[in-house]
Amino acid sequence: MGSQRENERDRAWVSASGVELEPVYGPHHVADGQRRAAGSLPGAAPFLRGAYPEMYRSRDWRIFQLSGFGNPSDMNKRIRFLLDAGETGVIVKHDRMTDDHLYDVDHPDIVERREDVGLTGTVTVGLRDYETIMDGIPLASVYVKPGGGVPQSAPYTLACYWSTASRRGIPLEKLSGTGQSDFFLTYIGCPTKEQIPPDAAMRLNLDIIDWCMERMPHWVPVSIAGYNGADSGLNAWQELGAVFANAVEYLEAVSDQVDGQFDNFARMIGGVNFRTSMDLFEDAAKLRTARKMWHDLLTNRYGVTDERSLRLRIHVVTAGSNMAYQEPLNNIVRGTVMALAAALGGTQSLGVSGYDEAMSIPSDHAHLMSIRIQQILQEETNITAVADPLGGSFYVEHLSQELERRALAFMDEIEKQGGFLSVIDSGWLLDQAATGQMEEMAAIESGGKRIVGSNVHLGHEELMPIEGFEGRSGEETWERAMQRLASLRRERHGREAVRRLRELEAACRTTENVIPRVMQAVQADATIGEIGDVFRSAFGVWEVPMRF
Amino acid sequence: MAHTRILIAKTSLDGHWRGVMVVARALRDAGFDVLLGGMLRAGDIAQMAGDEDVQIIGLNVGGRIEVVHRILDTLEEAGLADIPVLAGGTIPPQAIDDLASRGVSVHPPGSPLTEIVDAANRLAGRVG
Repeated sequence: MGSQRENERDRAWVSASGVELEPVYGPHHVADGQRRAAGSLPGAAPFLRGAYPEMYRSRDWRIFQLSGFGNPSDMNKRIRFLLDAGETGVIVKHDRMTDDHLYDVDHPDIVERREDVGLTGTVTVGLRDYETIMDGIPLASVYVKPGGGVPQSAPYTLACYWSTASRRGIPLEKLSGTGQSDFFLTYIGCPTKEQIPPDAAMRLNLDIIDWCMERMPHWVPVSIAGYNGADSGLNAWQELGAVFANAVEYLEAVSDQVDGQFDNFARMIGGVNFRTSMDLFEDAAKLRTARKMWHDLLTNRYGVTDERSLRLRIHVVTAGSNMAYQEPLNNIVRGTVMALAAALGGTQSLGVSGYDEAMSIPSDHAHLMSIRIQQILQEETNITAVADPLGGSFYVEHLSQELERRALAFMDEIEKQGGFLSVIDSGWLLDQAATGQMEEMAAIESGGKRIVGSNVHLGHEELMPIEGFEGRSGEETWERAMQRLASLRRERHGREAVRRLRELEAACRTTENVIPRVMQAVQADATIGEIGDVFRSAFGVWEVPMRF
Repeated sequence: MAHTRILIAKTSLDGHWRGVMVVARALRDAGFDVLLGGMLRAGDIAQMAGDEDVQIIGLNVGGRIEVVHRILDTLEEAGLADIPVLAGGTIPPQAIDDLASRGVSVHPPGSPLTEIVDAANRLAGRVG
């Protein structure tokens, strides 16, 4: 690698998504439409400038960190620690092996990897474990994401959480929180060994939305998570385009509903997730553009008028893939920059990835740092005083309009191929992401994309020794889960569980909403794997269209 | 000369695939015949390695090191200890020496693709 000066001359001045950048921007770079939007107020159409009029003066963004490992009792302790440290919402992270796959811990694929159990989240065998996870947590007042990242596991996870609350006498309408059931995570970011196909996932998601619309006014039933596309290789405008193509797929599924119901439905899917990465202004611009695109989509194409539906709410997660393995403490700075992008873009909630992300799940210390980064931004920097501080910047308005133009073209391309579910099923979107990754890797290898401590400014790794977080012994976690599974099977009314599972399977095979059936099944102590077996039997398993 | 065949498998049931894809494409572009095995159990890896005439095994580590050791043990028991193993993924720093001492070529996150390709070439007995 040459000297800094030589590199400077070779450097291409483009945004992370490839927008060519001028050395400076002026009024002529902002088109009329964008100028009009920039002249609007936050909290008013087209919401470019923010979801709410006073933004962080009226409510700070929610500090919302992914967390979880080990036994349900470990998860419970970690939640108490995070709430004590000032987190304002709880995300329960489940063991991906058992939860994403809906496998019991005695499934041969789990036994084979039993040391991995509890590593990426807490392991549950059934409803009883949720009661342990939530022991002593004030469910009526805490905002919770109980898990259920992938659509097939969401009904089980949500049913367990909601049943836990019901058993404590808390009415469902009092609960506030969010589901996820995200297509990007499931079919783009982390395709697993056995997943139900995307159309079956859509059906389960529609059941969840329908259930929540009737009885849970403070619950976000599903969340489209562009993050999982972006961190797998989609650039900023691809992420935007794909997120709204996904939204269209939902909206089309219920387009025959009456107006009021349709508006309500649109509000139910209007809580989405984006990634911020290291291109500070592009990522802030992306969030602004997202709100405008959502408003324009709903008004222009669907005639939605209810303001609550037109207001997109955003959760941001900072890019885990930007957390370097070398000199990991540098990642605290990266986390801060990415968090700043989210705040400047007007996010409603934020999770900052741990500085030890490249080697393990977050240690207590990394967790605390992710919270402290956000608290320092909120309490010490004065950025919460004024809404949309970047609004009117020629540069940022130009980036916003450019991202919108490219995102709409990407969305068109997806719709021409039959829509979002089609480009997942065909493997086209996976391929777009893979191509993006290859380009990013090539840029890192050539030095075009610079990462301090990894490919430039090397040589002091020994000053930042960090050990990855070991968590709890996997084998011990697995053994304890095996014991809980055995007790649950021994103590339950076996015939009742079987009856409820049969009813669930029957519902899966008709158009009956499955959620009440899943609730009954978990309350009869059906296990996670038994629910999974029902889904696999009723819906089949998706073949991952991965090409390389 | 026939292409060197490399089997790539994930040790865990975690679905992150970007590392696997990037490495698989780089090896393919460098002239390797890449078999993407997916989330295989230790026994499946050994069987595929034997049946498909695999010359190198690449493991994407997404979980604990014990699972990697189980795979190495299984390969030894199947008489396949002579097939060289490359490993990448989220490997904690303290586990690197441990794997290296069993002859595994370890490439933690941030390793340049050229380094991985060079290692594969070396293991295949080709000039890097």
